[in-house]
Amino acid sequence: MAGYITRRFLGMILLLFLLTLTVFFLFNMLPADPARLSCGKACSPQIVENNRHRLELDIPPIEQYQRFISGLFFGRTYLADTKRPIECEAPCLGYSFLRNSDVLSLITRSVPATFWLAVGGFVVWMAIGLTFGIISALKRGKWQDRTIMGIALLGYSLPSFFIGLVLLFTVVLWLHLLPSPQWVDPFKDPVRFLQTMILPWITIAILNAAFYMRLTRNQVLEVFGDDYIRTARAKGLPERTVVVKHALRAGLTPIVTAAGLDLAYLLGGAIITENIYSLPGLGSLAVNSVIASDLPIITAITLITAAIIIVANLVVDLLYAVIDPRVRIS
Amino acid sequence: MLRSDAWMRRALALGATASLVLAACGGGGPSATPAPPGETTAPGETTGPEPTPGDEAKRGGKVTILSFNEEFDDMDPQRVYTGEDLAFFGATIMRSLTSFVYSEDPEVANTVTGDLAVDAGQPNADATEWSFTLRDGLTWEDGSELTCEDVKYGVSRTFANDVITNGPTYAIAYLDIPGPSDADAEAGWLSAYHGPYDGTGQELFDQAVSCNGKTITFKLKQPIADFNMTVTLGFSPVPESKDTGEQYTTRPFSNGPYKIEEYTTGNGGHLLLTRNENWNPESDPIRKAYPDEWEVLFGIDVKVIDQRIIESQGDDAYTLMYSAVQPENLATVFDSPTQPKPEFADRAVSDFDPYARYYWIDTNKIPNVKHRQAIGVALDREAIRNNSGGEYAGELGDGVIKPNLGNQYAPTGLWDGLLGQPIPDNGDPEYAKQLIAESGEPMPSITWDYPQTPVRDQEAAIVIDSLSKAGINVQANPIPGGQYYGIVFNDDQAHEFGWAGWGPDWPNASTIIGPLFTDEGGWNLSRVHDQDFLDGVKDALTELDPAVQAKKWQDLNKLAMERMYVVPTTFGLTQVIAGTGVAPTYQWAPYGSWAYAEIYRKPAQ
Repeated sequence: MAGYITRRFLGMILLLFLLTLTVFFLFNMLPADPARLSCGKACSPQIVENNRHRLELDIPPIEQYQRFISGLFFGRTYLADTKRPIECEAPCLGYSFLRNSDVLSLITRSVPATFWLAVGGFVVWMAIGLTFGIISALKRGKWQDRTIMGIALLGYSLPSFFIGLVLLFTVVLWLHLLPSPQWVDPFKDPVRFLQTMILPWITIAILNAAFYMRLTRNQVLEVFGDDYIRTARAKGLPERTVVVKHALRAGLTPIVTAAGLDLAYLLGGAIITENIYSLPGLGSLAVNSVIASDLPIITAITLITAAIIIVANLVVDLLYAVIDPRVRIS
Repeated sequence: MLRSDAWMRRALALGATASLVLAACGGGGPSATPAPPGETTAPGETTGPEPTPGDEAKRGGKVTILSFNEEFDDMDPQRVYTGEDLAFFGATIMRSLTSFVYSEDPEVANTVTGDLAVDAGQPNADATEWSFTLRDGLTWEDGSELTCEDVKYGVSRTFANDVITNGPTYAIAYLDIPGPSDADAEAGWLSAYHGPYDGTGQELFDQAVSCNGKTITFKLKQPIADFNMTVTLGFSPVPESKDTGEQYTTRPFSNGPYKIEEYTTGNGGHLLLTRNENWNPESDPIRKAYPDEWEVLFGIDVKVIDQRIIESQGDDAYTLMYSAVQPENLATVFDSPTQPKPEFADRAVSDFDPYARYYWIDTNKIPNVKHRQAIGVALDREAIRNNSGGEYAGELGDGVIKPNLGNQYAPTGLWDGLLGQPIPDNGDPEYAKQLIAESGEPMPSITWDYPQTPVRDQEAAIVIDSLSKAGINVQANPIPGGQYYGIVFNDDQAHEFGWAGWGPDWPNASTIIGPLFTDEGGWNLSRVHDQDFLDGVKDALTELDPAVQAKKWQDLNKLAMERMYVVPTTFGLTQVIAGTGVAPTYQWAPYGSWAYAEIYRKPAQ
């Protein structure tokens, strides 16, 4: 087990290295000129050149990359040749001159909203998806099954921006059941936090629960056909035990795989949902940084998102062994 | 709130402003400077705002601003450079030597008046020196005195172009300080003075900017007739002890009626301003400072902003938008481009925004003037406007100077015969063909650069269709919005012509013609290098007689159109709406913004 985790960990570092390298060189191939973009209204060629120097775009990409890697471990100094240098302590993920802030601070500020959005949404959609998926399987072919699958199809068909806007306009702006969403720290104002997050969670859940209803239903139905389920029933086990202890556990493996990756994907930022509900998450930070060609932020978010996905993959693989005794990690 | 004749009144306004400056320069001395309404002219005399009945009833509460932006571009007084930001920060935390008057009447609003200074500035006989005397009782948010040295230090920061970036650079352009040596220029410096952090050339700056007690004097390279408007941009004070360089933009020190309590950026971020208890209202004739707090909420979807303010439920009644009403909601709020629906009459406004929209044509890539004229003649400007929202989008333009610039504007006659014959709004492809034939050269294939949005994708189709009727082969080049100007300012990546918009820095065409058509101006997308035109710009900039100067800008505007450096499309209109609980809701003419210094919460009914 330890050897397996070590190998995966080393692979993760190699992958992250290649990813950041790719982002750096792709960015340098873009036609946009970040030095001009950050030039402001009164721009002259000389100011553009100055900005190119400030943004360290006047050095070869490979050296930019070396400085980035070095900053991760040893920190770095920006505007070092001026009387007002900017120190970025290790682990320095870069400094955004467009936002006048070090990237780590920006990301640290963005993580809580994304974390709570993803985790809350995950809990809601898994609860709905598993519950109604199982009910649908148990009532296969009956009106309950058809109704649940119909709703699932509808939920799966609706794009998140539509669901989000409809919920926001209906619940907040027309019915005034909730105040306008405004991000607050859950530990400072839990009531306002819940009032703000309930609609984003439902938005995320509607999309994903639909998929998990169908997935759970299919998995449970498949397992119901297996011999050991028939044996369990023949032995007189209660139906609840058959479903929960035997059928569901065996059918969980693909659900865990999908859930782990979906959660990891969400932890990288739910761009549309964050924007609709004005949540200060990683998704909106990433999109706006791409629009502004803000390389330090783009690189850092790529790095972090990739790390989350890779770790989630590893966790899912390890969970297989816990869920299914037939799987052995080696 | 309707001002269908707004441009006419603003035209009168600039006439009045110009007259004031003319009087100041031509009158031969300080005493000739007229006093704007409510303004003292005696140096050293302090005048506070006259209390008006009902002031106490207007004080208190919080006014909220909903913004789709994720943050302010800058809050550093040497770097703020967006009209709405200048208006907001100018009304709350960032005072300048002079300001524009708060009034619903554009004629009055475009008048420059003393802010930190007791009056609108005193020029010498040829306007190569300007002096401003500070009021008594000016303080910073910690209660310390705001001094002439603070103003001088603030101005000096503009020269530190290695740290203080993105802001207006008029101090570098106008102050009598030599340009950079070749070595300095090579190193990226814009002046022989490198700013206070580096310190090189400090003596040059000290000669150009001097303090004598409460009076600061600026020596200029050349006569600048409207320098007292220039100092509204980037000439604000900064206390040296509080200067944090690049980081100052995230927490500037306040000298206005409010101070920064909290500032977080990104979606869900906010700026919270609370009262600056050390602000001395007796020293400030401009700001009423009615609300106890201002809060700007960032990252709100524009559709949500519209709905929240239209509904105006609960706290949303005390809300302003930092954007414009979205096209899909215009019919809900307005009966016509100039007429709000009765239920929104006291809080919805449709008025000129600061911008003229146009298509630049690269004169290097299309050097033949007949070819450039053929592009303008063939273009279906009416279809372009209709695609952008019809009459809500604005009036069809005839130049780069808008009618709301008062006496700086005169009809160029561009579409009424300037190009040889009248050109209909939907273009004249046959006449365009004739112009191409007269050019003596085949029309080259051209590409139209544009920042991509769904609306502009449709606009690209109109451009291609209308020009193809004149036999002009056009390709469209959509560019992601955030990268657009980075690409079209690159000579190697820009194509033959493209989309753009420009608004003046203050109500004078010196901040239009210069920027758009000279390299020094910084926005020369047309790559204009015609020497006679450049000489004309220099001549107009140094003209001391505002009326004569205005005529020169008019002539240059007309010449630029005749040579078709740009094809003007629309003089933009913007529609905005406020919550039901805030007033006044007029648009302040100098920046086309809310009148932040006068905004208050309406007392509960």
